[in-house]
Amino acid sequence: MAIYVLRRVVTSIGLLFLSSVLIFVVLRLIPGDPTITKLGGGMTAVDPRAFQALRHQLGLDRSLTHQYLHWIGGIVRGDFGQSYFSQFPVTTLIKERAGSTLELAAAALFLGLLFAVPAAALGAIWRNRYFDAILSGFTAVGMSTPAFVNGLVLIVIFGVKLKLLPTQGYVSFENHPLESLKAVTLPAVTLAIAIAAPIMLILRSSLADVASAPYIRTAQGKGLLRYQVVLRHVLPNATIPALTMIGVIIGSLLGGSVIVEYVFARPGLGSLMVDAIYQRDYAVLQTLVLLAAGVFIISSLLIDLLYGVLDPRLRVQGREA
Amino acid sequence: MTSTALSAEGITRRGRRGETVLRVLRRPTAALAAIVVFLIVAGAIAAPLIAPYPPSKFDYSHLFASPSWSHPFGTDELGRDLVTRVLYGGRTSLEMAALATVIAMVFGSIWGFVAAFKKGWLGEVLMRIADLTLGMPVILLGLVLVAAFGSSILSLVVILGILFSPATARLARSALLAELESDYYLAATSVGAPPWRIVFEQLLPNTMPVLLARGSIVAADAIFIEASLSFLGLGVQPPKASWGTLLHVGYADLYSSYWYPLFPGLIIVIAVLALNTLGDNLQRALDPSRR
Repeated sequence: MAIYVLRRVVTSIGLLFLSSVLIFVVLRLIPGDPTITKLGGGMTAVDPRAFQALRHQLGLDRSLTHQYLHWIGGIVRGDFGQSYFSQFPVTTLIKERAGSTLELAAAALFLGLLFAVPAAALGAIWRNRYFDAILSGFTAVGMSTPAFVNGLVLIVIFGVKLKLLPTQGYVSFENHPLESLKAVTLPAVTLAIAIAAPIMLILRSSLADVASAPYIRTAQGKGLLRYQVVLRHVLPNATIPALTMIGVIIGSLLGGSVIVEYVFARPGLGSLMVDAIYQRDYAVLQTLVLLAAGVFIISSLLIDLLYGVLDPRLRVQGREA
Repeated sequence: MTSTALSAEGITRRGRRGETVLRVLRRPTAALAAIVVFLIVAGAIAAPLIAPYPPSKFDYSHLFASPSWSHPFGTDELGRDLVTRVLYGGRTSLEMAALATVIAMVFGSIWGFVAAFKKGWLGEVLMRIADLTLGMPVILLGLVLVAAFGSSILSLVVILGILFSPATARLARSALLAELESDYYLAATSVGAPPWRIVFEQLLPNTMPVLLARGSIVAADAIFIEASLSFLGLGVQPPKASWGTLLHVGYADLYSSYWYPLFPGLIIVIAVLALNTLGDNLQRALDPSRR
């Protein structure tokens, strides 16, 4: 077990390092220079001395290796560097925006699970042909509908027609809890639809796998009712294989929040990222992408370790290997 | 075993899979999906013939007109007919998706085939790279690549092609590995058929149906991601317009004329759903383990 954990941790650190190098190199391929955007417009309009001074100040005149080590060294110490564009430390920008994105992601995950898990369980208990068809239809349409289309429909219905809920912006939860929840409702529902579809897809296929296992027949044979079998035996066992796919869900949360924040004009990490691309602010961009990769890699590490705890068979294999 | 017997087996295998594809189309959902895909593609190709108005016909007396008999989808900020713009936008979206799919299928297949043939460190490294990129959310990778390579049509097509190659590589690898274990491959190698001949006459035709089914899903994903990038204003740039670009521009006036972004949005959903359904049905029919 210890070797298994150690190996997974080392691989994850390796992956993080590899991602950081990749992100850094790819973003240095950007044509043009962020300082030109900052000084406003084309090369001709820019005073060459101001240009050189700014490049020096941002460290852009150093070698790539030096820039990379400077960046990574800072991150290890918790200093994410400075935005090329706004002169704020990247750490400040991220702290300002993180609350909004976390609120959105948490609310969407909650709503998505609240809808998908009972629906899939009900499908397994009821085993009705038409209900199954509805669930399959929801999954297919849900996976094919971009968040900006769902968001658009919700804005038109609840914002423009019924005028029930705010469709733009973000209110901090600490200051105005009620207003904050109102503002997050439509974005969260939009993102929840986007993640409920893959959750349901995974859960239903793993429910179907478990339902044909011998111990389920035993449970039925000892006279348990259908819903008892599903809730006590099928669902808990089906959740374990579904857990490995949580990486996919977290991925869609990260990716989806970029679109959803843009749709609902929420100042979050996703919209910060889009702004950074517009402004060629790769100090902000590289840190945000690395952060996303980090969240992704660390969460799949945690899931793998949790999986080892939940499924004793894996522990044994880990020891043998 | 003679070479005639060899190709005979190849033919029957191919024949069986050809029939499978036809049988899939007898299912109502798959047939409906195929018809919808056909209609959308035909509409885009025939846009100059069937569009009710010329694509750049401005009409300043009907800006942001709501849907009516003369303009079923309404008009845009310059009074252009939106049915026309959606038809022409489909040309951009579908062309890009088709090219990206070809890139992803060719590049991904070569990637996967090499990984299947070279089982040593090269195969291992190739598959590790595929796994690494497969984990990351596609839209984020897309954003990074757009930031690095810009958003000209060409770079967008290449970016989309790269984004969907790893998944194809994995599928191509497992499909080829299954073929490499078959008796006919053993027979072909033991009669001394040259490797390139086995690849082109036996292996490629036999893995083709699975790859084509995958192609349908890649095309759906490509439309989806291109629309997302364009929606964020980082994809196809005006005056050229894909469906996503129409949404991006239309969103600015969402609160006064919501039908402007709504119709391109619905078309995206219909196109993606139809391609996904078609690909999914084909994959299920071709892969016994998923039936």
